[in-house]
Amino acid sequence: MTKYANLIILFILLFVGILLKDSINISTNLLSLFATKESVEKLNIANNLGYSKEMLIAIKGFDSKAKKEVREISKKLRELKHINFVQSSIVPTEEIQDYYKNNYSILAKFNDANITQEQVSQKLQALYDAQLSNIFYSSIDKNDPLALFELENIKHSSISHKGEFITLGEYGFLIRVMTDIAPSQMDEAKELYEDVHDMLKEYPQVVAFAPFFYTVENSSKIKADVQWIIILSTVILLLIYYLLIKNIRLLSQTVIALVSSMLFASLISTVFIENFNILSLAFGMSLTAVSIDYLLHYHFHNFYETSKKIDKNVLYGYLTTLSAFAIFSFIPIPLISQISSFAVLSLSFAYVLFTFVFPYLRLKKYEEPNKVQSVRQEKKVPAIVVFVLSLALFIYSASNFKLDSNIRNLDYQNLHLLEAEKLFKSNSGVKLTPVIVEATTQDKLIENLHELKSLLPDTFSLASFVKDKQSCKKRQEELKAYDFARLNRLINEEASKIGFKEGYFEDAYAFVSPLALCDVKELDIFKTYGLSLYHDKDIYYTIALVSDVKKIENFSFISSINVKEMFNKAAQKMYDDLLYFGSIVLVFIFVLLLLSVKTQFIYAINYILFPLSFTMAILVSMDAINIMHLFSLIILIAIGIDYGIYMSNSKKPTNTMLAVKYSLLSTIAAFGVLIFSTIVALNSIGIVIALGCGAIFILIKVMR
Amino acid sequence: MIQKTIIFLLLASSLFAQTYNFTELRYSDAINRSIQVEGKISFNIDGLNISYPQSAREIDYKNDTLIYYENDKEVSLPEMQASKMMQYFDILRLLHKGDESELEGMFEIENKSNIKILKPLGAIKNYINLIELRKYDNELKYIKLFLQNNDTISININD
Repeated sequence: MTKYANLIILFILLFVGILLKDSINISTNLLSLFATKESVEKLNIANNLGYSKEMLIAIKGFDSKAKKEVREISKKLRELKHINFVQSSIVPTEEIQDYYKNNYSILAKFNDANITQEQVSQKLQALYDAQLSNIFYSSIDKNDPLALFELENIKHSSISHKGEFITLGEYGFLIRVMTDIAPSQMDEAKELYEDVHDMLKEYPQVVAFAPFFYTVENSSKIKADVQWIIILSTVILLLIYYLLIKNIRLLSQTVIALVSSMLFASLISTVFIENFNILSLAFGMSLTAVSIDYLLHYHFHNFYETSKKIDKNVLYGYLTTLSAFAIFSFIPIPLISQISSFAVLSLSFAYVLFTFVFPYLRLKKYEEPNKVQSVRQEKKVPAIVVFVLSLALFIYSASNFKLDSNIRNLDYQNLHLLEAEKLFKSNSGVKLTPVIVEATTQDKLIENLHELKSLLPDTFSLASFVKDKQSCKKRQEELKAYDFARLNRLINEEASKIGFKEGYFEDAYAFVSPLALCDVKELDIFKTYGLSLYHDKDIYYTIALVSDVKKIENFSFISSINVKEMFNKAAQKMYDDLLYFGSIVLVFIFVLLLLSVKTQFIYAINYILFPLSFTMAILVSMDAINIMHLFSLIILIAIGIDYGIYMSNSKKPTNTMLAVKYSLLSTIAAFGVLIFSTIVALNSIGIVIALGCGAIFILIKVMR
Repeated sequence: MIQKTIIFLLLASSLFAQTYNFTELRYSDAINRSIQVEGKISFNIDGLNISYPQSAREIDYKNDTLIYYENDKEVSLPEMQASKMMQYFDILRLLHKGDESELEGMFEIENKSNIKILKPLGAIKNYINLIELRKYDNELKYIKLFLQNNDTISININD
């Protein structure tokens, strides 16, 4: 029965998994792994305000063919699903025109000077003469013949145009499309992506871009990439176990143990840790493969054949790795803390299985080869030299250290989409940045927007269209005080004398009554300008486009939604946290190593310092360091600790070396193959692990 | 080679440009009177040119830019007026071109033998009630715009 203990444990875990399946929570929101909670909240608000749901379509040139294409494409776009509105012209929508008509007396400038009968006569005479003498047609405004009201042209500072058509700088015409798709809505994004691209097949010169295009294109590329990596990794692992160790039972039992460990850690993490992310789960599972070195050490030293309950070296290795990940589990970077928590659980479970369950599995004994190659001590380098070299490499790395704070660089580098995005950014003459403006009431929100506009007059927001309540009330008073009835009478009397058609001006200035209201209800109509209103938990939000964010930073009702800046700040904080926690972990490891290996301290610590310094020196020589490089360096520490302890305390160095070599091969199979990935995040891990493992191979060969 | 190309392009542009003499009759509802002016209109690839020789006025509309001349001197027009004129000229160009697919995006079209009635669909319906076009021998000869304020503008192509 004990022979099947490993399998029974797996079945128990699977059974528990089925029981707990409703309590399992896995988050797929990758953004929450990198951005702070506040940033994620802000981006959610921005999404609700339509930011990032916009699709842009550029038609090259300004000729009549381009204009024709703009009309055709706009028409076809309006027929597609998931499209809220299409804007290719600066001509206001009918709703906005109605809004202007209904609120004209409030929105337009009003000259409330008293007008004499003589002035009325002069102005009307000038209008009459112009009708007869003007070479171009000019119309008479019968509602406001004296031009007392003047509506200022609203400067669409967020939009450049030629005639009525919106343009993309000097590139050509632009169509702005508001979709209802956030970049995270995979199925809907794919549907619209395909519809748009099918429709644009007829127009090969037309370029389209939307943030959700990345979701669609990158996810299929990432999927294909990961599938190929998994196949490669599995093949290499099977080759190592079958061709090198030639022990199928050991292989199957190890696979069962690793699956049980992953399952155990997955269950605990997804049931008890809030918002445990799918990416952390994937990394955590890979990290479990590090525990293979416990098994290999036991196997090559025939630990299962002895009556010993515990191997001190493996215990020290496990405890040191455990301590490092336990410390990292407190880091305020969700990705690293989640992976570290997972590692603590999975490595502990694997340690328990390999140490206390495997002795009962009656595994085949490791047969030592008869001829053991003697280790040629004379050609090896003293540990102190490697230590000094490692320090020198650290100094070199520190002096050439460059951080890549752009988290987007970690994603799959979709060059064709990046180029399309660049086309829109580089040709857009608009230099305005969006910010979120908030207030507890709608009136207060409009007031805040006007305050913003008074400081930065080129701000484009709802304040460009809506008066604040105070100014509106003031205008209402002015209109009430003005004698429009007298003016109407004067106009009609004088018009009749001049020769205008009888009764032509009978409705002059009738539009001022009834007075327009100051409570604007139809703010949704300005969505076509990208100006939405969003109401959540008694707070009203809208977007304003400003020319200088720094000037308004101190306004409490404003928050920036510059995604790049947001991620840069988040990345900087991540690096700081990683440096702080990394230092604590290193000090802790130093102390534990000192206790476990005593006089062999320098020798053992070299298994951490040399791979780290060697890898970092090569990385800084190649490019800037990203967060995934740093994270992989932590994995390297975890690997190095175990080998340092095993190698320095080994009584059978040849067997230990063999265990370490196979363990390194397993690690390369699990992580090193990521070097072939086209996704920068995965590729970064692959490079670090491959270089680190290479450095450890060098150490095994050359250090004494 | 370059010279030849330039000469060819100049020739081509003058060949493609179509010039017509026209008579414009405007009815102003405000004064209940009509005014008649005569001029010359040229349609070319990128825009149009209208001149009124009797009053030495000329307007050039090219690539969405409007330039107005009085006695051969450039005179700037108020932005609002220029913008309205450009919209009007765009409609004239579209009518001259007669591309049904383009017109359909902006108007509801009704055909009655040699008369075409266009009813605006978008924002221009705030200014224009309808447009009547008359063709003779497949050539556009008459355009009449019925404006919202009861004014009308009739353009007769004399050539």
